[in-house]
Amino acid sequence: MENSVDMKKAQNKLQVGPSPHIRTRRTTKSMMIEMLIALVPPIIAASYFFGWWVFVQLAVASGVAVLSEYAFQKMTHRKVTIKDCSALVTGTLLGLSFPVTAPLWVVTVTSIFAIVVVKQWNAGLGNGGIGRNYLNPAVTARVCAKIFFTPFFTDWVLPTGFSAGPYGGVDAVSSSTPLEFIGHGAQSVSNQVPALRELFLGVNLGGNIGETSKLAILIGMLYLIFRRIISPKIPLLFIGSTVLVMCFWGSFDLEFMLTHALTGTLFFGATYMATDYSSGALTPAGKTVFAIGGGVLTALLRLVFDYPGGLGIAIIIMNICAPFIDQKLMPRIYGHKKRPNVKFDRQNPNQL
Amino acid sequence: MEFSFMYKEGGAHPDEQKGFTDSKPIIDASVPKLMAYPIAMHIGAPAAPIVEVGDQVKVGQMIAKEGGFVSAHVYSSVSGEVVAIEKRAQAGGGEVDSIIVKNDYAYTRAEPIVKPGYSSETSNKEIIDTIRKAGIVGMGGASFPAAVKLAPPEEAKIDTIILNGAECEPYSTSDHRVMLEYTDEIIKGIDIVSQLYPDLKNIYIGIEDNKKDVKEVLEKATAANKKVAVQTLKAMYPQGSEKNLIKSLTGREVQPGELPADVHVILLNVSSARAVYHACELGEPLIERVISVSGAPVKNPQNLKVRIGTPMESVIDDCEGFSEIPGKVLSGGPMMGGAVGDLSVPISKGMTAISVLTRKEAQIEEPENCIMCSECLHVCPVSLQPILISEAFERGDIEKAEKLGAMDCIECGNCSFICPSKIPLLENIRGAKAAIQARQEG
Ligand code: SF4
Ligand code: SF4
Repeated sequence: MENSVDMKKAQNKLQVGPSPHIRTRRTTKSMMIEMLIALVPPIIAASYFFGWWVFVQLAVASGVAVLSEYAFQKMTHRKVTIKDCSALVTGTLLGLSFPVTAPLWVVTVTSIFAIVVVKQWNAGLGNGGIGRNYLNPAVTARVCAKIFFTPFFTDWVLPTGFSAGPYGGVDAVSSSTPLEFIGHGAQSVSNQVPALRELFLGVNLGGNIGETSKLAILIGMLYLIFRRIISPKIPLLFIGSTVLVMCFWGSFDLEFMLTHALTGTLFFGATYMATDYSSGALTPAGKTVFAIGGGVLTALLRLVFDYPGGLGIAIIIMNICAPFIDQKLMPRIYGHKKRPNVKFDRQNPNQL
Repeated sequence: MEFSFMYKEGGAHPDEQKGFTDSKPIIDASVPKLMAYPIAMHIGAPAAPIVEVGDQVKVGQMIAKEGGFVSAHVYSSVSGEVVAIEKRAQAGGGEVDSIIVKNDYAYTRAEPIVKPGYSSETSNKEIIDTIRKAGIVGMGGASFPAAVKLAPPEEAKIDTIILNGAECEPYSTSDHRVMLEYTDEIIKGIDIVSQLYPDLKNIYIGIEDNKKDVKEVLEKATAANKKVAVQTLKAMYPQGSEKNLIKSLTGREVQPGELPADVHVILLNVSSARAVYHACELGEPLIERVISVSGAPVKNPQNLKVRIGTPMESVIDDCEGFSEIPGKVLSGGPMMGGAVGDLSVPISKGMTAISVLTRKEAQIEEPENCIMCSECLHVCPVSLQPILISEAFERGDIEKAEKLGAMDCIECGNCSFICPSKIPLLENIRGAKAAIQARQEG
C-alpha cells in the first residue's frame, strides 16, 4: 500500500501497558497556571487602585515563596518541585493579601513562613509538601503575620491610582477598613460605610490589595468554576452561609447583609483560599460541610467575638476539622448501605 | 477541552473521537487466507477442539465444543482445511490454543444449527438452547456466555430488559452503526429474548444523547411495542457500564456480589441481540460481528463486518493501513481496552473496536505527588475514593484498601485518566484487588 507504514515496522514499535491508555491533558502545573490566570483580574484591580508598587510587592511575595521552596527542598535533599508552580500561587495569593503599606521585609518573612513552616514542614504535624499540608499556607502565614506584626497593618491607605508610589506608611492618608465600622456587634450599617456599589467595585476603599474589588474576584471565581479548577460549591456556599447568618443577625436588613458580604476578605478568601486542595475537604459531602462551616464561622467571628479578620481564623479552624469531616462523610459506595468506616489519613506513603 | 459549569460527578469526558467513523456505513471486511479461532473467546471454561489437523470444515461448522456450563462453542467462519491447532497470541495478552483454518474461498455452508424460522411457539428452553448452541457471548466486551446470563433462576423475576446501546468508549462506533443499519434485526432479537420472562414490564434501550439519529430510528421501529422505551442518557464515560446503566434507567443498585438479575434486570448488548435473532430465526451460529477500526494513525477508518477469526492485520489493511507508526493498537477502546502487541491477533466475539493511538496520545507522563484535587473522587462511577485506596496499597495496608471498597472498583479507568498528577490509580487499585484476593484464598 503506497505511503502507508510497513505493518511489520509498526508491529515492532507497538507499546503495551495497562488500561486506561489515555490521560487528560491537564497537569498539576496547568491547573496551577489556571489558578494564576484567575488571579489576573484582582491583580489588575489592585494595581489600578493602589499603584505600580503592587507589582513590587507581588514580585517579592511570589519570588521569595519560590526561592524558599527551592532552598528548603535542596537543603533537606528532597525532590525540587518548584516547577509545578504551586509555590508561585501561594506567593501571589499572599502578596495580594497585604495592604500596600506593608513593608517588604514583612512580606518576605511571611512568604518564607508560608512555604517552609506551613507547606513543607506542615506545621510539624506530619509530612508536608504539595497536597499534604493540613493548613492553608497563605492564610495561616497571613494570620500569623497579623498577630506578630500588628503595627504594620493598622494603616489602611485609600487608593490613589496607578502612578502612586511606594507608601511611607506614616505620611499616607490612612483610614480604617469598612469592616471595622460595622464590626462591633452592630446590627445595622453605620453611615461611615461606603456605598454598596463602591464596595463591589472597590473604588475608594482601603484594605488588602487583592480583595478590594469584588467584581474582579467574581470574574476570577467564574473562571475557576467554568474551567473546573474549583468546585462551585465552596465559594458559593461559603459566601452564602456568611450572608445568611448576617441576614438573621441584622433581622433581614438587606443593606447590612450585603455590606458584610462585600467587605473584608470574604470574597477573596472564599474564592482563592477556602478552595485550596490540600487543606480543604476531599470528599464531595465534606466540601459542602467545609464551606458552610467556614462561612458560618466567619460570620460568628465577625459578630460575636468582635473580630473583623475572622475569615482567616475560620479557614484555619475548618482546615483542622477537614480530615475529621472527611472521615465521617466518605461517600457511600455504589451498592453498599453504609459509608466506609476507615480512618482518614493523608500521609505520603513514600515518605513514611 | 472540558468547559462546563456543573461539576459533574460519577463520570468523565474523554474526547469522544467518534467522528472518524460514526457516519461511515458498515462494509464487509475482506477474508484472508488464514483464519485463527482461539478456544477461549469468552469468560469461563475454554472450549475443546473437536476437529483435527487435516479436517475439512464448512462455514458455520462447530470446531470447538463448550468446555462446561459457563463456556461457549466456537464455529468456523470460513470453509477450508484445519492446518494447525497451536498456541497463538490473543487480544487479552498471553497465548491460547487456536484452531487455524486455511480458507478455500468456497464458503460452503454447514447445516443450520436449528431449523430456520422462529415462531412464538418456540419454548423458552428451546430459545436458550439455541442461544447456547450458537455460541453467543456478551458482544459489548464482557464476553460472558449469553445462554447463562439470559437464563437466571426463576425466582429472579426479571421485570426489565436493558438493551445496552450506550457505547461510551472513545472511538467505538460499531454499536452505533449496528443500531442504525440493523435496527429490525435487533428489535426481533429483543422480541425473542423478551418472551423468556413472564414478569417482564419494561424494555429500555439505553443510548447516549450524542446519537440523535439512532434515537429516531429506534423509536420508529419500536413504536408498536408499548413495553419498549428508548431512553437517552447523558454522553459520559462509563455510561454503558452495567452498574451505571441499571442505576440510570431503573434507579436500582446492584449490591456487591450480586448480579443484575438479582435486581430483576437483564442486560443485553445490541450486537448480542442481533446475534440472538440470527441464531433463532436463521439458524446461524455466531461467526461474524461488526467492529470499528479507528484512530488518527489509521488511514481510512471504517466500520467493518468481520468474520470472527480474521487477524487484525487484515482488518487494518482493509482500512488502507497506517499513515504513521502507531503508539498503541487497542482491542476495544482506550479506557478499558487491552493493548495488543501482535497484529496477528484475531478478531474475537467480544471485540467491539480496534482503536489506534498515535505515539503522542499513547505517551503517559511520570507521576507526581497527589495535589488532592479530588477529581478522582468526582469521576468514579461507584463513588470510591481512588487516591485513598491507591495510597493504602502503596503503604501495604491491604486491609484498609479493602475497607475503602477496592473490590467494588469496576476498573473503568476514569480515575487514572483524570488525575492531573498522572498517578497510576487504577494500576494500584488492581494491585490491591489482587492482594485482597490472594489473602482471601489463602
Ligand atoms: S485526581 Fe490525582 S491529584 Fe487529584 S486527588 Fe486524585 S490522585 Fe490526587
Ligand atoms: S476506582 Fe475503579 S471504578 Fe472508580 S474511577 Fe477508578 S477505575 Fe473507575
